[in-house]
Amino acid sequence: MKNALLKSLALITAVTLSGCGETAKGPIEITLPNKNPYPSTYKAPESPAFALIGANLLTGDGAELTNTDLLIENGKIAAIGPALALQPGTIQIDANGQWVTPGLIDVHSHMGVYPSPSTSNHSDGNEMTSPVTAEVWAEHSVWPEDPQFEKALAGGVTTVQILPGSGNLIGGRGVTLKNIPSLTVQGMKFPGAPYSLKMACGENPKRVYGSRNTLPSTRMGNMAGYRKAWIQAAEYRKSWDEYLKDSDSRSLSNTPTRNLRLETLAGVLEGDIRIHNHCYKVDEMAQMIDMSKEFGYKIAAFHHAVEAYKAAPMLAEEGICGVMWADWWGFKQEAFDMVRENIALVDYAQACAVIHSDNPIQVQRLNQEIAKAMSAGNRMGLDISAAKAIRWGTYNAAMSLGLEDQIGSLAVGKNADIVLWTKHPLSVYSLAQKVWIDGNLRFDRFDKSVQPTSDFNLGIISAGEARP
Amino acid sequence: MKKLSLFIMLLLVSLAANASSILIKGADIYSANGLLPKSNIYIENGIITTIGRSTPMSADMDIDGSGMSITAGLFNASTHIGTVEVSAISPTVDFYSENEEVTAALRISDAFNPRSTLIPHNRVHGLTHALLVPESGTNLFSGQVGLVQLGNQPKVIHNSLAIALDFTEYGVELSGSSRAAALVQLRQALDDAKDFSRNRKAAMAGEHRDYVLSYADLAALEPVVNGDKPLLVKTHRASDITTILALAKDFQLQLILSGAIEGWMVADEIAKAGIPVIMDPIHNLPNSYESLGARLDNAKLLADAGITLLFTGMGGSDTHNAYLVKQSAGNAVANGLSKSAAIAAMTSNPAEVFGATVSGDIAVNQTADLVLWGGDPLELTSEAQLVLINGEVIPMESRSFQLRDRYFKRLKKD
Repeated sequence: MKNALLKSLALITAVTLSGCGETAKGPIEITLPNKNPYPSTYKAPESPAFALIGANLLTGDGAELTNTDLLIENGKIAAIGPALALQPGTIQIDANGQWVTPGLIDVHSHMGVYPSPSTSNHSDGNEMTSPVTAEVWAEHSVWPEDPQFEKALAGGVTTVQILPGSGNLIGGRGVTLKNIPSLTVQGMKFPGAPYSLKMACGENPKRVYGSRNTLPSTRMGNMAGYRKAWIQAAEYRKSWDEYLKDSDSRSLSNTPTRNLRLETLAGVLEGDIRIHNHCYKVDEMAQMIDMSKEFGYKIAAFHHAVEAYKAAPMLAEEGICGVMWADWWGFKQEAFDMVRENIALVDYAQACAVIHSDNPIQVQRLNQEIAKAMSAGNRMGLDISAAKAIRWGTYNAAMSLGLEDQIGSLAVGKNADIVLWTKHPLSVYSLAQKVWIDGNLRFDRFDKSVQPTSDFNLGIISAGEARP
Repeated sequence: MKKLSLFIMLLLVSLAANASSILIKGADIYSANGLLPKSNIYIENGIITTIGRSTPMSADMDIDGSGMSITAGLFNASTHIGTVEVSAISPTVDFYSENEEVTAALRISDAFNPRSTLIPHNRVHGLTHALLVPESGTNLFSGQVGLVQLGNQPKVIHNSLAIALDFTEYGVELSGSSRAAALVQLRQALDDAKDFSRNRKAAMAGEHRDYVLSYADLAALEPVVNGDKPLLVKTHRASDITTILALAKDFQLQLILSGAIEGWMVADEIAKAGIPVIMDPIHNLPNSYESLGARLDNAKLLADAGITLLFTGMGGSDTHNAYLVKQSAGNAVANGLSKSAAIAAMTSNPAEVFGATVSGDIAVNQTADLVLWGGDPLELTSEAQLVLINGEVIPMESRSFQLRDRYFKRLKKD
């Protein structure tokens, strides 16, 4: 997989031809496209060590630990255990009997790209001017002052993947953000998080372009559209590979022309960019899997996977996450076969089951969405514990983003993204009380000085006041 | 968070279906008068005959309700249930019309499909009644509000409880995209309806001034301008609410407000006018410029002012998952509303406000419309264990359950 294209900024010096008597050409300096031209500027502020004492932890990777201490140092989880021996001076927070989970992760959000107010001036989530727009990046549409972000934070959401909409076959790059207030999107970008690419099956692209009498107007048109794009991407990738391999023929005149659209698609073929594929139906998921094998890339997740319960063995086999709602259905034909047990059944089949919101109301209460999905599974007799269910919005979500080594569970060495709840996290009455990101307290329900509010809100509710 | 196995639940329901008497023992009963902790309820031939400890000791069907709770059946005060199957498939969508001649006259309950797959799906999760509220298609007037009961023979029980009007940004956009213009049209329509009412015979013969609405629409508005039927106005912005309150006073209309995302800002005015409010307590985002003041404690603030609340929700799932009104109610409680007020807002209040022939309550000598929940009634982990509608036990069957069972069987084989 790895080749020269993987190097983000490579300076390659062409070898000087050294045959006898040959005129030596000067070295040709080649600058490869910068793979990270809009880098994260996020740096976790330093924070003193602190410990939550005597908490009940749902660890996010399947365990429940009662009456346990959690030590945070340098923004990381430093120790977990009963009655930890703490250094003098460590700030202690009494969490006796209170519930703690990892920060919740929403892997399908349009915050910032479809912000509130949802007016056309900020409606920037779907570049529906061509069915393949792999060249657009959601981060270039994110409005960081979107008041939705702070409400998601108040719901315990610490990491979000912002995706372009689903009007296109290939809608553009998604971006993973830390849910912190920032003037710029760069200030929110999760350092080192892999990029994603949004693809969409089914009704949306064929409706959007069919109504304009252009391809695709059918599902077979959809498939033709993706395949055409992958063929071009494979050729593009090859042209760069050959150019970089064959130093003899390398010259400025032979340098392939940079193509933003194909560059992103080639990044998928290289394994750098993860496919997050909006796909409701089992038959279409199977087509997408075959297509990924045809062109040699990997699908990270199927989103809005209303029929994931039908596809569960396939998802388990291929290592693809099913990203689902708890109960949405009926708005389109492809969302007609909803079962409330979807997430529970995907989990039962030992595939990676993930909850998502796709919605600014539900992102504020992913814990409730998890509760509903768990309850539906238990009603049918699956016996799913809260410790198991919380994975759907934590560890499994992190896996779908390729960030499970950094976030998604309460484990030593991981980022200290932590939520302290007012009640059991799966209770409808429970609210996030304190939310830490990288060990920094970013929200406190009982301290107005730690309730970020967007510029937009000022003078609207009442000056300086956070929106309840 | 009590779990009841599927087997026990199915057994319970199949036994109860044949039972002429049902005794539920030791459940927390939430009635309009308050909570009766760990009480018994006895139902004979669909009628609640005894509540409390002095119930008969056994019945055809005995249920141990300890750790469980009972509420009246859920009543969602703003849905399109039975008038849409798949939202994106327009031939299945009947809750609005693009026919300019049919606005106030649109009687949504005429389109009600008792075989809709949405009905079993919602009633197995505790929804027993729903208002059908039409949406605007061509102007401010949306149509006539119906009420449906979702029992074993789903049916319309009232076909015109109110006339719905959309004074949100959406409705205003349909009538010239200025609030001021919309008001001119609204006043004109109400004046026309009065004129039509006074001179009906001549008007029908064509002897009348220019009317802004069709005859059918004016006839539908007649009971509204005569003060006999409420005008149900959907609006969100505080100043729009004030405008509508003033208009209702001018025309001496019965008024019900719907939406009212900024209602808390003018709660005292609404309370003073004695106007009930249909609302979804889940909204807290400034999703448009008419809802900049959205906040999660809107329900609490309105209730504190003494306003009668009727709940809908949750969010955009108010029809396909109309039973999720319960989730909205739970969130209202998490944000300050009392549990009894939240339960009333999705049971007894809508029944009372619309004078519907359903009690929305649990009381002796009443037909049983109730739900036995696996735990606290508002917890999302409390599943409906037993649902009675119009005195009949509802089978726990739906298309969604059939799909689940079909695929679970396959997964177990794999």
